[in-house]
Amino acid sequence: MNDPLQSTRRYFLGQCTGVSLGAMALSSLLGGSAGATTESADATGLPGFPHFAPKAKRVIFLTQSGGPSQIELFDEKPGLAKWAGIELPDSVRQGQRLTTMTSSQKQLIMPARTKFERCGKSGATIGEWLPHLRGIADDLCFIKSMQTDEINHAPAMTKFLTGHQLPGRPSMGAWMSYGLGSTNRNLPDFLVLISKLQRPSDQPLYDHYWGSGFLPSRYQGVKLRNAKDPVLYLRDPDGLPRELRRGMLDGLGELNQMRLAETGDPEIATRIRQYEMAYRMQSSVPELTDLSDEPDSTFALYGPDSRRPGSYAANCILARRLAERGVRFIQLFHPDWDHHSRLPSWCVARCRDTDQPSTALIKDLKQRGLLDDTLVIWGGEFGRGVAGQGKWDSLEAGRDHHPRCFTMWMAGGGVKPGTTYGATDDFSYNVAENPVHVRDLHATVMRLLGIDHERFTFRSQGLDFRLTGVEKANVVKGILA
Amino acid sequence: MPVLIHRTLPFFLFAATASSRDDVPNFSRDILPLISDNCLACHGPDESHRKADLRLDTREGATALNDGVAAIVPGKPQESELLKRLLSNDPDEVMPPPEAHKKKLTAEQIELITSWIEAGAPWGKHWAFEKPQREAQLPVSADNPIDAFVLARLKAENLAPSPEAPRHTLARRAAFDLTGLPPAAEVLAAFEKDATPGAYVRYVDQLLASPHFGERMAMWWLDAARYADTDGFQADSNRTNWPWRDYVVDAFNTNKPFDQFTIEQFAGDLLPDATPEQKVATCFHRNHMTNGEGGRDPEESRVDYVIDRVNTTGTLWLGLTLGCTQCHSHKFDPISHSDYYSLTAFFNSIDEDGRAGNDAKPYLSYKSPLAARAVQEAQLLVNERKPREVAARKAAETPFAGWLDARWAEVREGFTAWHPVIVSELESIEGTELTQTPDGTVLAGGPNPRHDDYRLAAPVKLPRITGLKLEVLPHASNTGGALARGSSGEFILTDIKVQVRRRGSSQIRDITVSGAVADASAEQKGARDYGDIKGVLDDDPRNGWTTKGLDPKKPYSAVFEFEEPLVLDADEELVFEMRQRSTSGDANIGCFRVSVTDQAGEAVRSIEVAPLERLANAKLSDLSQLDAKLCAKLFEQFLADHEPYQIERSSWDRATRQLNEVKKSAGALNVMVLAGRKEPRETHVLIRGVWDKKGEKVGPGVPPAVAPWPENQDKTRAGLARWLVSRENPLTARVIVNHLWQMCFGAGLVRTPDDFGLQGERPTHPELLDWLAVEFMESGWDVKHILKLIVTSATYRQSSSVTPAMLARDPENRLLARASRFRLPSWMLRDAALANAGLLNPALGGPPVKPYQPDGVWEEMFMGRFRYEPSEGAAQYRRTLYAFWRRAIAPTFLFDNAQRRVCEVGNARTNTPLHALTLLNDAGYLEASRALAAHSLRATDPLREMTRRVLGREPTAQESTVLQRERDRALSHYRSHPDDAAKFLAIGQMPPDSTLNAAELAAHTTVASLILNLDETITHE
Repeated sequence: MNDPLQSTRRYFLGQCTGVSLGAMALSSLLGGSAGATTESADATGLPGFPHFAPKAKRVIFLTQSGGPSQIELFDEKPGLAKWAGIELPDSVRQGQRLTTMTSSQKQLIMPARTKFERCGKSGATIGEWLPHLRGIADDLCFIKSMQTDEINHAPAMTKFLTGHQLPGRPSMGAWMSYGLGSTNRNLPDFLVLISKLQRPSDQPLYDHYWGSGFLPSRYQGVKLRNAKDPVLYLRDPDGLPRELRRGMLDGLGELNQMRLAETGDPEIATRIRQYEMAYRMQSSVPELTDLSDEPDSTFALYGPDSRRPGSYAANCILARRLAERGVRFIQLFHPDWDHHSRLPSWCVARCRDTDQPSTALIKDLKQRGLLDDTLVIWGGEFGRGVAGQGKWDSLEAGRDHHPRCFTMWMAGGGVKPGTTYGATDDFSYNVAENPVHVRDLHATVMRLLGIDHERFTFRSQGLDFRLTGVEKANVVKGILA
Repeated sequence: MPVLIHRTLPFFLFAATASSRDDVPNFSRDILPLISDNCLACHGPDESHRKADLRLDTREGATALNDGVAAIVPGKPQESELLKRLLSNDPDEVMPPPEAHKKKLTAEQIELITSWIEAGAPWGKHWAFEKPQREAQLPVSADNPIDAFVLARLKAENLAPSPEAPRHTLARRAAFDLTGLPPAAEVLAAFEKDATPGAYVRYVDQLLASPHFGERMAMWWLDAARYADTDGFQADSNRTNWPWRDYVVDAFNTNKPFDQFTIEQFAGDLLPDATPEQKVATCFHRNHMTNGEGGRDPEESRVDYVIDRVNTTGTLWLGLTLGCTQCHSHKFDPISHSDYYSLTAFFNSIDEDGRAGNDAKPYLSYKSPLAARAVQEAQLLVNERKPREVAARKAAETPFAGWLDARWAEVREGFTAWHPVIVSELESIEGTELTQTPDGTVLAGGPNPRHDDYRLAAPVKLPRITGLKLEVLPHASNTGGALARGSSGEFILTDIKVQVRRRGSSQIRDITVSGAVADASAEQKGARDYGDIKGVLDDDPRNGWTTKGLDPKKPYSAVFEFEEPLVLDADEELVFEMRQRSTSGDANIGCFRVSVTDQAGEAVRSIEVAPLERLANAKLSDLSQLDAKLCAKLFEQFLADHEPYQIERSSWDRATRQLNEVKKSAGALNVMVLAGRKEPRETHVLIRGVWDKKGEKVGPGVPPAVAPWPENQDKTRAGLARWLVSRENPLTARVIVNHLWQMCFGAGLVRTPDDFGLQGERPTHPELLDWLAVEFMESGWDVKHILKLIVTSATYRQSSSVTPAMLARDPENRLLARASRFRLPSWMLRDAALANAGLLNPALGGPPVKPYQPDGVWEEMFMGRFRYEPSEGAAQYRRTLYAFWRRAIAPTFLFDNAQRRVCEVGNARTNTPLHALTLLNDAGYLEASRALAAHSLRATDPLREMTRRVLGREPTAQESTVLQRERDRALSHYRSHPDDAAKFLAIGQMPPDSTLNAAELAAHTTVASLILNLDETITHE
């Protein structure tokens, strides 16, 4: 997709003197078959972008919504055993706010419910609920010192994805597609996939998480649904065959072309192109979401759940297919990591949904040579606290939200594999070294995509906004390859 | 074209205005914007971020000596440090500094600053903070003062206005702007025929008098007021604030003076002898989102609401970005951090406690006079459908008798409803060894892991499968001869999955299980515990089925009903998965059997013996001996499968559900309103805007830089409202007339309707803006009067066509040498499609309705917690204003609309393939296309009729050729494919007109859809 203003101008200056529409429609049909990565002249980002040679051309963001527990999954604290059931010292807590779910109870320490292992040559610590991930530890870069400012889900996720706790700012994917432009003219630049779970959601995934905020709405993420219409309104109605749709669009285009001649409004030229893009999406999207051309080996790699459309595992396969097609920003959401109770069943269930597919995605990208220029990010909006919620020594216990530290991992696209960056204190409560704030993460992701975050602004309400906000954000140099 | 992305005024326009008037640059117009944009972020009113102790937002600051130098030395550019820094090449000296990533000022801009300093650096106020004034004399003579300003400007630019638009164009334009609807065919015809003077003014008067005027204006106001029918955030509970929406419609229809409208919405409760409607008006300031997220401190939420009210007031009345001052003093505008919190003090003592859902007090208990009509409408629909259900039930008796005879003949030799499945594959994920015996029983052996999932696949020979039965059986090899292999012998089943797999296919599909019943289950302590069988239907391992505590040596059964009967192809198999992932674990089932049935209804909804099995067991010699109760059950089972009955039944059920829902809205409703608490709260500055970091105490007050507070005026919400609409306030009237202008021209005279501050754009026609603002106030804040002035101006009546030369000269139409051409808001597109199709239900007000949306959009967002059922009958065809607004997921058929989360007054307009798909494939647009086609087929020339109805004009010969070609193409297809025609015509809930030829109707429907998608159709021309 072009910038509408640029494209209408170009069209107006170059073409409006009368290219026949039949020819236009024909060329749009022939131009770039669905699925082909077309790094063409259509890849128009902002002038001067990228600022430097990018390490990554695209991002796959595996968003784990709800706040996965770093204590069970990654941040091993063997010393906690002797603190079991003892109240968290004030010297550690330092006045940290709690949610009202636990603010009235004593903060009694609950050591991790899992056993850890040092994995690979890098010796990364990974809990037993992620057995598959243990096998690729040397491909991953862990950041154990992530920090955010928000303690409730919606503000924290909003900050995690848009840089600000209140809705209204553009999401990362919207910024990236606005800045870098498109590399596939048959698909949107920013696609969102949400796992289907049969569970009443505690944290709905609001569409502002992938919204365009004050950027033009064409940069917002397009949600690929697990439904008859993977994109809303994509399917023509029953009884309207494809050739009639084509004819109707030709007729529509011709009449619009007459109107363009009559009024001189270049917006009409853009509209004609958008209807043609809609037509192309009607074949490119179903072709993308139809996994029947995948061999059995794919499903073996991603696990049995990957055969079930809408599962996180199936979405991981789709993410790889989108990466192959050059989509700029691919964001998966897996809900339900908000484990306030019963960690040994609840957290395990979400690990099972995601462990093998996330691992398979890295392996698959690697074997296809795509990992080098694809940045994969795994993480949620915050971590979980060291104190048990509920009776700490019962199976019922879970953990409350914790913004002061959490763990994320990244792979591919310019990050150092087999690394662990940053560290927390003995309680996995405060960051002990190399803090990485959410805005530092944003600055780093942009750097990997070749963008200087300080030079990437958009004026709204008289202010020059940027994803990283007004406070100083730092690129985390220690994780760059 | 996205209005949002090019906000900076092209430089040539600046240059032209500066040089064309006089030689001394105008401070407010030419200099302040440069200072603001380049300097004030570090040298402005915000003391906390001020660098080098230098402020350039005041003359004192800019001319003060600082280490012996002054930034500005009036009259002496060479001595002014400011210019040295602007011109420096030293990266440590140059301003703005390189790390600000600002562009260097251009030579022309530096020249402007130089000549301004040379002239003595005359200071002034930002234009928007000066009260609007108007000269007695218009710049040139014109019938309509608006034209005088526009023509004067065009003259200065050496341009001429465009000719008047064709009548039909003008008629459509004004009708959309004033009513949000296309003109009715008769009204348009009358106007086109009326050659007498004043025809257009009379046409406008007619539009302004239409009740649809209030609806059109309300959509503007609701978007800005962030009105919604739900709370937003996690719970997103429903609220019943729609009587406020009806108050707004009524206020515009009765042309309530805007100052009164303001006062009622801020303080209707404080007015003497306040009417219920005046109290309802205060819901304006309760339309913010409310957060019921578990774990959230309600006080934090309450503070958010207060802040939202101040920000909304700032945006909508003052055109100021007050939100910036929540955390620090404004970087550009003269509004301090404590000014901001003084404003919050007006809203800080509402009798609220930050809760959401049903606890969002204060409420007004209110009965809407507009609910009765909706109830009546819903009741009529039920009355119409009930007899059809009764008749269908009666009509089913005859086929039932035949069915019963046939079944009886079949089952006399014995009948089994349930058939154990014989597996083709049996596996476990964690290593349990499963084996099946010939009677279908599956036995677990080998390793006994803490958790395990059992998975079985089986071909099924039945013609269909309606449900599945699971029997958990005691067995000698289990612990204590009980049910499971764990230490207690008790089982816990956490989740089940039913799927279908096809041989040779990579993918499986999920089968939805709609119900589950068990013959016994343990008593469950809370929602997240084991016991109830329904817990196995979600993906939550913290609940599920157990019979713990009951006799563990007995067998137990559960029956699962499929949402729809499943028909397997020959190469398909049923897959059943049993997940045992409980918190404690160690509770895996030791012995079980799975059976399936093809019986509908009772058989899969109850654990009882299936009706046909009971018939078989009854061993009757004659059907006449059949027990009446069993006969009734058999009839129900028959009906469950009898499609003619099911169609009428579900149609009646939907109407009944709708009626029940609407009836609730006819009773007393809780409308969220403003009401003060007994003990006012103290208000503090919040340090860095954090809700619990209280700084100095402040009382109610307003930013003095905007307008002074009148002496003797009470510092109440009512006082605040009066201050907003006082003649001393320089902003409100300008901001509101700018909104009205934006409605008619697609963009305001100030292109940043939300920002009249230093960083906003200057008006394209400052004197015109001020003239209108003063006129607005002097007319008694008469909204209709201002709109009439605008739409009857020659400026408005121009053609919107543009030549390439003019487009290059003024691409954004800032000079108004033509009317603006822009896509209509998506809500108007839907309303227009309904109106053009003759489907529109013009009723005013009442409870919200639910236009068509694709299946499942609410369900997938909330994992089934909310279901969207489109309105039935006449309620489906109401205006979009009344569409239920769920904040977490706004109506899918709208695009570029305000999101209604916070106050938004911009008008984004983008052009994307997703919009195209919506207009092409949304059920509402397609049904409207079919209705439009059906209507047009009664005319002698259907294609001409459609064009006339939608575009208000005759098609050209060229256009007719294209339309005919597409119609003929479609006609030949549908004539040879009657099935396609039938399917295509089945869209929507209204049955297609059966008196029309299906192929003709289908073909014309495709053309109608084409016409509804024309650029001209969807555009304000």
